[in-house]
Amino acid sequence: MKPSVSAGIHSIAEYLPPHVASVEDLRERGLLRGSPDTLRSFGFNTVHLACDESNIDMALAAADTVLEESGIDRNEIGMILYAAALNSSSTLWDGNGSSRDSVLRFETVPDLFKYPASVLQSELDLTNAAVAGINQVGCASIFAALRMARAMIVAEDDLQSVLCVSADRFPQGRHRDLAYNLVSDGACAAIVRRDSDCNTIVECTQVTKGALWDSEEIENEIIAAYFPTAAALVERTLAKAGLDIDDIALVIPHNVSLRSWEILGRLIKCPADRIYTDNIARVGHTIASDNLLNLRHAVEAGRVKKGDYMLLFTFGYGSNWACMVVQH
Amino acid sequence: MKRASILLTGATGAVGSDLLRSLVQRDSVRLNVLVRHSDRSPADRIKALLGDTALAASITVLEGDISAGPRLGMHDLAVASLRRETTHIIHCAGSTSFTLDLADARAANVQGSRNVLEFARACPALECGAFLSTVYVSGKRCGDFSEFDFGDAGLGFVNTYEESKAEMEAVIQSAMKELPLILVRLSTLVGDSTTGRVNQFNTVHHAIRLLYSGLAPMIPGDPNEPVDFVSSDFVAAAALHLVEHAPRPGVYHLAAGKESSNTLGDIIDETMAALASFRPQWRKRAVERPLIVDLDTYELFVRSVEETGNPVLRDATRSIRTFAYQLAHPKVFETSQAAATLAWNGIAPQQSLAFYPRVVRYCLESNWGRRAC
Repeated sequence: MKPSVSAGIHSIAEYLPPHVASVEDLRERGLLRGSPDTLRSFGFNTVHLACDESNIDMALAAADTVLEESGIDRNEIGMILYAAALNSSSTLWDGNGSSRDSVLRFETVPDLFKYPASVLQSELDLTNAAVAGINQVGCASIFAALRMARAMIVAEDDLQSVLCVSADRFPQGRHRDLAYNLVSDGACAAIVRRDSDCNTIVECTQVTKGALWDSEEIENEIIAAYFPTAAALVERTLAKAGLDIDDIALVIPHNVSLRSWEILGRLIKCPADRIYTDNIARVGHTIASDNLLNLRHAVEAGRVKKGDYMLLFTFGYGSNWACMVVQH
Repeated sequence: MKRASILLTGATGAVGSDLLRSLVQRDSVRLNVLVRHSDRSPADRIKALLGDTALAASITVLEGDISAGPRLGMHDLAVASLRRETTHIIHCAGSTSFTLDLADARAANVQGSRNVLEFARACPALECGAFLSTVYVSGKRCGDFSEFDFGDAGLGFVNTYEESKAEMEAVIQSAMKELPLILVRLSTLVGDSTTGRVNQFNTVHHAIRLLYSGLAPMIPGDPNEPVDFVSSDFVAAAALHLVEHAPRPGVYHLAAGKESSNTLGDIIDETMAALASFRPQWRKRAVERPLIVDLDTYELFVRSVEETGNPVLRDATRSIRTFAYQLAHPKVFETSQAAATLAWNGIAPQQSLAFYPRVVRYCLESNWGRRAC
């Protein structure tokens, strides 16, 4: 049964570090395992690299922007969901030049009780907001946050708005090409609001294949599982929403290889001109922030009009496939 | 087959070994088996298939090679004697590899058959020369393919095996006016209908393994189009029957045909079901059913995998590629000539799905031939 209360993505903001590197730059700096030519053929060109910014800095920047731009009273935010794709993003790791070994190193027992979400609540002056963290869903973590935000708004009468934030900074010095994708640093923030006048969340689905949890040992099986599982989930999500792929005005992808979207587009029978891939070359794969970033840019570019349905899809290690239908 | 003297080539292969096992049980047959020397002697290779007792009973193992000219690599005395006595030839030898270059495939399948044909011309008592071929000489044709059709109709072939076999057929067909020859076109052999036993693991079994390993995300084809599989016991019984009754020269299809084929979608579903049934713990791996996609999408996927340079996925897609393109050219093999000859003896192909799960089980239990079972 569909909920009588609706929730939608009212506002979105992102933070992308100003430092931009091309695939050739990355190669020169020893940050690529593969060749720049292959990555270019997969649609990648440049990525954003955090320099002085930690994951918390990026999260704060994105969240502050979305609060400012939305015009929503900060007292209305009743919940912060801090979504972290990388395990390191759940910590207060200071990435400013720390050695890469420090990512998950905790010096003291009290360090284990220091959380980014609380820092956000304090720094952003969101005194009415409770906090929770979402992790272990890989790049699908922001989808999990949006899904939970919607469910909480439907379930709790006094909850008006939820701030969802995701920020991931890749460990310094590590190869940026991962499973044939090019990883960028970045953050996004979104306010999910009761009875939002735009971007109503119509349907959310997620499938987890725990057998594929070890992304290093069974990378080939994960890559092979990607397409059939993705196509099946998109079909299931559309069916739950009572829609057909032809009802979707625009697919909002995660910024993985353009080639993989060409293939998935064929599998779900969606023509390439209805998949928003403009940011893949310029931004790269920002771990969990891609879809919200792309949604904002697609709307700003006039690619959707009021009432249009959009389909958001992503994959996260773990292994998780997540899909969402949103009505603008 | 009274007082018949049969020359069998390719006795250690997928089809030949089943024919050999059947023929050694017939007292009325004198059986000459032509075997190449490999790392083991010809006699040892046959003993490995039959055991000592059967070998002593009724067969003569001749060392030779079909690629070594019309004497088939035998010395003069042996050739002369063999020519005099041979009443039937069953030519199974050749290469079934899909990945040979065309020159090598021709050497194995065309020139070797030419040599056997020349040998047959010199057999005064010849009643039937059966040359085994494949229904996939049809190449990239789609739709019905009858026993009166030849070759790819200019549409090309999926691999060099098909092409070389089509060329072989042209050679044999041109000799049918002079000699009592038949071409026996086989469909894809998957295993024994009762035990599931596989004589020789082929691309179908490899595809089952890829599916089991979760490395076959997509397969080109149409889920509603038929896939033609036959059991090895049907082929052995039918081929012997055809040879024994020396039908008129022509082509005979040993295929499931329209009636006994199942669709690609059904075959994939049955594979998934059989893997889950015979290996319950496999379910935990949550392997998704492979997508059946159009050829362009599959090509795009293959190109993408090639560009990544990932060796495991590249090998997986390449191995599917060697045969799966046939699935994108669906066809129905018409079997009326063979059926008319075989029917009175009650020999008919079984419904593919009636025995296919046993083959999947055999693959699992033998670990695709690595473990005795």
